[in-house]
Amino acid sequence: MELEELQATWAQMSTELEHQKIITNEIILQMTQQRYTNKFSKITFYESIGAFICLIMAAYIIVNFASLTTWYLQLSGILSLAFLVILPILVLRALKRIQNLGVKDANYSDMIIRFTKAKKHLLFLQRLGMYLTFLFFLTVMPVFNMILKGNDIFLNYQASLWYIPVVGVFLFFLGRWGYGCYKGITNSAETILKELEG
Amino acid sequence: MNKEADFVKLIRANEGILFKITTVYTDNSADQQDLYQDIVYQLWKSFDSFRNESKISTWMYRVAMNTALTQIRSKKRTGHSVSIEKTVLKQTDSYEAQWETRLQLLYKHIHRLNVLEKGLMLLLLEGKKYDEIAEITGLSPSNVGTRISRIKQKLKLQLTKTD
Repeated sequence: MELEELQATWAQMSTELEHQKIITNEIILQMTQQRYTNKFSKITFYESIGAFICLIMAAYIIVNFASLTTWYLQLSGILSLAFLVILPILVLRALKRIQNLGVKDANYSDMIIRFTKAKKHLLFLQRLGMYLTFLFFLTVMPVFNMILKGNDIFLNYQASLWYIPVVGVFLFFLGRWGYGCYKGITNSAETILKELEG
Repeated sequence: MNKEADFVKLIRANEGILFKITTVYTDNSADQQDLYQDIVYQLWKSFDSFRNESKISTWMYRVAMNTALTQIRSKKRTGHSVSIEKTVLKQTDSYEAQWETRLQLLYKHIHRLNVLEKGLMLLLLEGKKYDEIAEITGLSPSNVGTRISRIKQKLKLQLTKTD
């Protein structure tokens, strides 16, 4: 099959399509009125729920901050708060950015660059979040142990020691899987960016 | 005529273009329908700004192709299979099975291209001149020419392998 044949096949499809008007006026108008959920909106929805849960946890820590009596518990509390507030905000901002790329204004190659950069940024944050989760686990455990049970885990750590390897192994595999996905997507993103910007 | 009626008329007149763009950027009918709807929605949102512009096709291609670009697929599919339902909507009197096979082969080759090449190939198949392709893509006409000749070489190689 030659290139000319491909063009002829395409032209024939165009002719076929001219005879196949399928959407009605009503369907078109429905499409303009209904803001259906696209895939980024779905991600935003789940991320928003996650952010909401994080904020509730943050508020709980703030309300009970007085029970964190030592400097190391207070430091753990502050680190936990930073994780619970900053990361969800950054992810939601990145999602907002990817949804407002200016579909109508940008030309195609600009759009590829904008979208690829925004996607890379979002994926970077998600990857960062995955690794920070391990750190978060280490900081939040003493905080909640103190607030909920009045137990200073740094002084009485035996009871909670088994948590660390279990969660550590889980997070290691989760991180490896996430990194694999991230690498695949960003490699192809890098190639297209180099091609357009180079 | 009011805005809605103008818009409906425009979409109906260019139904074929939207169908072709959505089939180039998706692998299955569910994603295709999602994309179709999203494109119509985006066109409606920017319809007012279009009214002041001169070339309707440039605006439509730009919005439609940009929207297609920002859609993410639910999952990666291997093999780039093209189902019959997506290539033609219904069989008309002039329908030929052989043509359908050729069309599926064409889609198979297009789906192997990267996102930029896909866009350029689409516009080339649509019979656009280099100047108009340059306007839609933001590349210079000479750059368009270079890239299209590379795509042609790539396709030639793919086609030789297929034969």
